[in-house]
Amino acid sequence: MPSGNEESDGVRQVWLPNRRNMLKMLGIGGAAALAGCSSGDPNDGDSTGTPAQTEDTNTDSTEGDSPDTSEAPQTTTTTEASREVSGDYVTGRGTDAVSLNLLGAAAADGESGDRIGSILDGAYGVTPDLEVFPLWADISTEDGKTYTVELRDNLQWGGDYGQMTAEDWVYMIQEVFQAEDNWTGYPNQSDWQRQDEWIPVEQTGELTFEIQLPQVDPAFPLKPVMWGQTAMPKGLIEKYRGDSDGEGLAQDEDVQTMAYAGNLGPYSLESWERESQFVGTRNEDYYMREAENVPEAWQGAPYFNSYTFQVIPEQSTRLSALRTGEITSTGIPTTQVQQFEQEESVEINVAPQAYMTSMIYNQRVNGNFYEVFRQKESRQALARAVNKETIANDILSGYATIAHTFQPKFSKWYSDETVVQTGVGDEYGAELAREMLEPTLEGTSYSYDGDRIVDGNGEQVTLNLVYAQGSDTTEDMNRFIAQEYDKIGLNVELQGLQFNSMLENYVSNSPSNNPDFSGEPEYAAGPYNGGNRDQSVSPEQWDIMTGIVFNTYPRTPSQTRDFVIKQGGINYYGYEPEADFASLYEEASTAVDESTRQEIYAEIFGLESEEQPFNFLNMGVAIGGYQNNVQGPKPEFGSGWDSNIWYFQQG
Amino acid sequence: MRWYVIRRVAWAAVVAFVILTITFLFLEITPDQQVAQLQFQAAQSGGDPEAALDAYEQRRGLNQPLWDRYTEYVTNYVQGNWGWSDTRSEPVLDAIVASLPYSIMYSAPSIVISTVVGMGIGLYSALNQYTKTDYAATFVAFFGISIPNFWFGIMLLLIFGETLGWFPIIFQTSIADTQTFSLANLRQLFLPIVVLSTGAIAGNMRYARAEALEYVRAEFVKTARAKGATGWRMLSRHILRPTLVPLSTLLVGDLLGLLLASSLLVEVVFGIPGVGRLSYDAIINQDTDLVLGTVFIPVFISVVGNLLQDIAYTVLDPRISYGDR
Repeated sequence: MPSGNEESDGVRQVWLPNRRNMLKMLGIGGAAALAGCSSGDPNDGDSTGTPAQTEDTNTDSTEGDSPDTSEAPQTTTTTEASREVSGDYVTGRGTDAVSLNLLGAAAADGESGDRIGSILDGAYGVTPDLEVFPLWADISTEDGKTYTVELRDNLQWGGDYGQMTAEDWVYMIQEVFQAEDNWTGYPNQSDWQRQDEWIPVEQTGELTFEIQLPQVDPAFPLKPVMWGQTAMPKGLIEKYRGDSDGEGLAQDEDVQTMAYAGNLGPYSLESWERESQFVGTRNEDYYMREAENVPEAWQGAPYFNSYTFQVIPEQSTRLSALRTGEITSTGIPTTQVQQFEQEESVEINVAPQAYMTSMIYNQRVNGNFYEVFRQKESRQALARAVNKETIANDILSGYATIAHTFQPKFSKWYSDETVVQTGVGDEYGAELAREMLEPTLEGTSYSYDGDRIVDGNGEQVTLNLVYAQGSDTTEDMNRFIAQEYDKIGLNVELQGLQFNSMLENYVSNSPSNNPDFSGEPEYAAGPYNGGNRDQSVSPEQWDIMTGIVFNTYPRTPSQTRDFVIKQGGINYYGYEPEADFASLYEEASTAVDESTRQEIYAEIFGLESEEQPFNFLNMGVAIGGYQNNVQGPKPEFGSGWDSNIWYFQQG
Repeated sequence: MRWYVIRRVAWAAVVAFVILTITFLFLEITPDQQVAQLQFQAAQSGGDPEAALDAYEQRRGLNQPLWDRYTEYVTNYVQGNWGWSDTRSEPVLDAIVASLPYSIMYSAPSIVISTVVGMGIGLYSALNQYTKTDYAATFVAFFGISIPNFWFGIMLLLIFGETLGWFPIIFQTSIADTQTFSLANLRQLFLPIVVLSTGAIAGNMRYARAEALEYVRAEFVKTARAKGATGWRMLSRHILRPTLVPLSTLLVGDLLGLLLASSLLVEVVFGIPGVGRLSYDAIINQDTDLVLGTVFIPVFISVVGNLLQDIAYTVLDPRISYGDR
């Protein structure tokens, strides 16, 4: 379960549907449950190549065997010079899947998505270079508005469901994703809406269908709508659609056993023992082996005899299992990395992530210091008060990269020319921060009295910093922030909270919590932005918050829009920008020309770094530990999309 | 006696029903932690938090009125349908049946070992009070009680699993299922049994010692000793039997522990998918049907268990009788 700042509990291979969940899980779980976006070369080998010659020697010997990567592989199939099918891959996870119903609960659960992703590929992948990599389908457009999805012609459902066709997709989209009664409880219906209208979808051929967006969106393929989207056969869904029997569908045996998966994924479901093991065995009929125009490496995929998700709730037990070789990979907490770096049998892979840790200021009227936090100049001063390098390099042991805006440095949309850097080098220092802060206090009820900041009654100002309890590093970071603020004359009291409690009592807000307000609120944008910052407040008072981690969406940066506009659904902090971000985002997201988009995004992220809606501290990393014979993981953002072609090095 | 037993069994059903109803209501009034997270996720990704809430309630069947859900639930229970676990995606009964054997595999040996060894040491200590061996046994008892199972389990895994490699780190259900009575299964169960037994031995030993001390100097024991009874005969015939009357409460409790109190911490550390984790996860995830299922069985069994305990008293002490009740 996601929570504040927990460390990673597993290396996500980023089966494609999970990519979808990862994008959606921003903010919750920190870098933790979101680990795994690392990379690989999408065009490993050449892209033409002849179909691999496979030679199965003993396909039955793995049945019933417990996975143990330390033992010799039971089967060996030669497919190409560098890769051989061998061994059993076991990934250690802290929690189990909740369901295999991809039209219901599984669509809202990352662990379920991972398991399903090992059995079903999904529509297409996205490479670290932001290229679409066709799996079941390719997606194309001529005008950025109407997208054509073309399915491969060798996709076969299991059971009696026949070939996968466009009819299956259109039926699923219209009768599930866009069903008014949402009879399956599908959690991502809003993906298939624009301006409160369903996106028109139309079958145009046996294997093709069109998605007709109401306005130009060149980044649509990179959004988690069709990217990584899996499907169920029409024949299965329609059995329950008549009675809108979502429960029946969820409990259907074909759904439970994924019997409809056919040749659509690298592994076939062997067994799922709840809270213990989910085992997939190599799918000998995997469609990619016969597919046209795929890189040679894919023509022999996958390269493991089996793939197992082993649930090990306790982190120290998972780490022990990695050391003894009983599992192949798992997530490594930052505090343990140094120990594992000395292990010969384990390789550490550190992949940059796009999840940003920040100090969020309460600019709503129930904050102690909201008058100051509302001023751009004050926030700019405060950004100089906290040493970001100390946090990233010392507290987080270098396993973080410094952030300055809503975009990581590795993003193609980040521009050094426009982004203002704060909290580093010459742009850090208590003296500097104080010099900048003091003049901004004029006109407020606060002022400096000697070295300390006092309120109108001459009392020392004390700010309440609330944070999601997690690891020791979380505690250290917040204590450090308090020390840094002390240097500029502000007392900070720390209050650790359970993540859910923080959401309910500090993040959610409503005009009903404000005793000084009555009447109709100016607007309401959901439970996390209940209205104007002078009207809507949280149930409990707070001043600064850490522990909510934001996804910065380096693939589709327009999705950061809601974080910085006044009426954004997530603007619980009451930020009202000076810049017209709404128009800028609108302009950027509809620009077909990439250089134009780049220019506008550079301006946006520059302005955000200047306005400092909150203090951007750092971007997390995903740290994975792998047995040293695993070939595939790379220290790049977006890795793992090609885990189907990872393999064990022989010899 | 028969009428007494029938009444007690009927009473068990009533108690189970009342407790289930209370549990159902508790679950209803407890805020669902997942809702806030789902809504927040939806808001952050530009979705509609209200729609996310509606979808969640649709999936979990929470969109029906409370009374309808309650009556449907009770009706299903009476008909033997214990519902569907939303967080495990399987029938509740299957979930319980699947988990129970794993808990029994480590808790049954642990109970046997802790009972036999604990009582044995306790009786020995009572007969040899204030000797060096008594002090040693007392030390062992306090060590077992004091050491936290969670920490102890991790330490054993690190030393005997990771460093020495004597025992596997991961509990393999495939071995437990197919080779239940094998050395391989014993290897993976050994450390959990040791951890669980350590604390239980201590408890049993202290109880047994304290109870036995009451009888070591009793008149009838002195009489037996005067008549020439010594050693094993005196211990088993004259001390152990009266000691067992109060201890039977403890023993029945231990046996029920197979079903009721499988150790969550041991299961977490060793990755055993037993009843402890099943119950805990059900509560944390507010999986209503599964919570009620995991509550119902122990409640019913504990009431029946108390009955068995009362009957055991009559066997151990003929002076006790329920004939007039």
